[in-house]
Amino acid sequence: MGLSSLTSRAMIRRILHTTTTTRSHNFSLIRSIVSTPELNNTASAAAEPTPDPPAPPPRPPVNNARVHFPNPEDAIEVFVDGYAVKIPKGFTVLQACEVAGVDIPRFCYHSRLSIAGNCRMCLVEVEKSPKPVASCAMPALPGMKIKTDTPIAKKAREGVMEFLLMNHPLDCPICDQGGECDLQDQSMAFGSDRGRFTETKRAVVDKNLGPLVKTVMTRCIQCTRCVRFASEVAGTEDLGMLGRGSGEEIGTYVEKLMTSELSGNVIDICPVGALTSKPFAFKARNWELKPTESIDVTDAVGSNIRIDSRGPEVMRIIPRLNEDVNEEWISDKTRFCYDGLKRQRLNDPMIRGSDGRFKAVSWRDALDVIAEVMHKVKPEEIVGVAGKLSDAESMMALKDFMNKMGSNNVWCEGNGGQPQADLRSGYLLNTGIADLENADVFLLIGTQPRVEATMVNARIRKAVRANHAKVGYIGPAAEFNYDHEHLGTGPQTLQELAKGSHSFFSALKNAKKPAIVVGAGLFEREDKDAILSIVETIAKSANVIRPDWNGLNVLLLNAAQAAALDLGLVPESDKSIESAKFLYLMGADDINLDKVPSDAFVVYQGHHGDQSVYRANVILPASAFSEKEGTYANTEGRTQQTLPAVPTVGDARDDWKIIRALSETAGISLPYDSLIDIRERMRTVAPNLLSMEEREPATYSTLIKPEVKKEIDPAPFKAAIENFYMTDAITRASKIMAQCSSQLLKK
Amino acid sequence: MATSLQRAGLRLTHLSRSALISTKYSSQADALVESRTGEIGVVAGIPEEHLRRRVVIYSPARVATQQGAGKVGKWKINFLSTQKWENPLMGWTSTGDPYANVGESALTFNSEEDAKAFAERHGWQYEVKKRHTPLLKPKAYADNFKWKGPPMQES
Repeated sequence: MGLSSLTSRAMIRRILHTTTTTRSHNFSLIRSIVSTPELNNTASAAAEPTPDPPAPPPRPPVNNARVHFPNPEDAIEVFVDGYAVKIPKGFTVLQACEVAGVDIPRFCYHSRLSIAGNCRMCLVEVEKSPKPVASCAMPALPGMKIKTDTPIAKKAREGVMEFLLMNHPLDCPICDQGGECDLQDQSMAFGSDRGRFTETKRAVVDKNLGPLVKTVMTRCIQCTRCVRFASEVAGTEDLGMLGRGSGEEIGTYVEKLMTSELSGNVIDICPVGALTSKPFAFKARNWELKPTESIDVTDAVGSNIRIDSRGPEVMRIIPRLNEDVNEEWISDKTRFCYDGLKRQRLNDPMIRGSDGRFKAVSWRDALDVIAEVMHKVKPEEIVGVAGKLSDAESMMALKDFMNKMGSNNVWCEGNGGQPQADLRSGYLLNTGIADLENADVFLLIGTQPRVEATMVNARIRKAVRANHAKVGYIGPAAEFNYDHEHLGTGPQTLQELAKGSHSFFSALKNAKKPAIVVGAGLFEREDKDAILSIVETIAKSANVIRPDWNGLNVLLLNAAQAAALDLGLVPESDKSIESAKFLYLMGADDINLDKVPSDAFVVYQGHHGDQSVYRANVILPASAFSEKEGTYANTEGRTQQTLPAVPTVGDARDDWKIIRALSETAGISLPYDSLIDIRERMRTVAPNLLSMEEREPATYSTLIKPEVKKEIDPAPFKAAIENFYMTDAITRASKIMAQCSSQLLKK
Repeated sequence: MATSLQRAGLRLTHLSRSALISTKYSSQADALVESRTGEIGVVAGIPEEHLRRRVVIYSPARVATQQGAGKVGKWKINFLSTQKWENPLMGWTSTGDPYANVGESALTFNSEEDAKAFAERHGWQYEVKKRHTPLLKPKAYADNFKWKGPPMQES
């Protein structure tokens, strides 16, 4: 069909249209493509007097958003649909509408990305403006009268929608985004039931972005959200726009995988089904899923997540808003580790027989055997180790149980031999994750936040982008997605900084808000006390700790670490493993078991058949983080809670319940029977673990710190994490994570 | 009918003697109506084990995959129900918990207070999760063309 026939058809329709509208709409035989036919007759629309609509009742802002007023005097007043709202200067029209509680349709605009203004879906009418304006890019001016629900705005959006649907395939029934698609929803409001476009739709070659993101580029509407996300938040300029006009495509220029550790977020921000989750492809429909709002445990950040499950299975994990922790992003490890929850799980209690093979037994038998062995060994030979995914409740139970057995050798892996748990400021990210973005100079010591705590790294990147923060880094050569200065590899550089002879020291000293971040990988070093004290010297001489700003931070690695130190899981001697006769591993898979004496009895309680199971004599199956209610403290000391989303597998039980049952079999019942009771016990030890979702900042004091006499080992710092995608039992069991580490890691 | 009412009454007196005795007068005009915690559940004949549940009251976050805010701001009750199993032949999911599907799909409250009152009337122990809200900060299209300092070094 040629262009001429199209135009002639359109003309016929217009003629028919004007004739029908002059009579009555009810009798029109040909339905209009737009829902506002009266606008086609511009003369009659202008002549009609528009009565002032009554002011609607005030509505809460969209998403109940809070408004940040940088300067209260700079507030301006605009009118949205006749209702006055006060907004700070510099807001856009779209933001003003959001404050007024009007949700403006949009595709390209995203509140956490820069403004592109290319989808034109957010058109609104502004009084005295000759044309509809794109509200996302238009600054709101004082006294502006914005109308979001007028025929002009509606017609404009309908026009935009028609153009967008022109080249969008009609494959919603086989599209993974179907049911949670912005285009689908908004076409219900602004789309026509027919199209005037009779040419063939364009087709675009799919791109291979790696094992995580599936692309169907024909569905792309060129909103460029993914491009902006990749360059602004993820910091990898992998994606870009190619071509012009109808040949415009999103791509990677050359065949290349997306190598960001935040790449999964482009799935969320894609308003259509162009970028969807590859592991989730065709697995489930989103309306079948049951959402459970929970916490991530694969790193120490404690990102807020939503676990979507169908029946007894976790189908996917998506982020949840928390401005203080992860904003709206999560790392790929968090998002895609879920298939590890279904593989290599421990189902039944098992005892290793004399032939070295495990045999499934009942809970009673297993607990009896353990209790018998425990009473045979000397109390000081009993050792308990909590794993990196343990929740605070079970760690409390483990510590109480070990103490009741007469042993004080209980700790959490990752905290090193003699952890410093007396001063909370000594192991927390004291600045706070959200406040890190205000810092202007960073000194990263032995930490690579990009792999250790991706969301913290995103904040540092934000600070580098917004405030041009300087970043100095001491440690092995590492990849950063922002500009940084590699100062050195080991403690010598620290000594130079402490003396003030290093060039970076002046930058640190002159900074308005300096932040020193020490990696928790240093906890494993013999000379960590000496290193921490030299860092404190630097902090003191550079005036990093002030009454209003505490810039001395420790970035932890594991979800359990902060709560373990809060609860005082500190071993009596750091050589306890070598002399252990009874070792209780509560999900501890990353400790070195070579030094355990061969006659020691090892109990492994956990959810995955991972590294420690090979040495275990008895296995007790426990539930994973998606199956239990557990308290976790993140690296900044914020207490958060997981909630159960799915049932446990097999005969597994919650960690604290197993220890409670074992204590009863051993004849020393722990005095709590429920989660409420155990939290009351926690209140006596670490009350901050009960103030949910709150961050309890640590008070800083150097006065009571003992002096360190140890010598500094000049050995350079080592990387704490070798493989970002595989750090714990769940991620090591995950197939997706295995694919990622084989395809995305640079060898 | 009469016997069941009698039973319910008996259970009510039994319950009121036990821990759940906090009495609350409704603030409505009809001050004679007096509601006790857990009363609704008792009168409705709900089994006793379901009158002692622990629930979590929360406000669902906006789904990260979509921008629309139509469903945001409601309050829900999470019954922490995980008693589910799958039919090995057909893959159908069954549950042993009558409240398993109530929290997600059936109950929605306009405010935190409504959800709390509902839980109280049923005698559930509840915990309220803080609602997270976004923070709007000024941003401008012109920022795209702002001088952002010298270009990044090749690192």
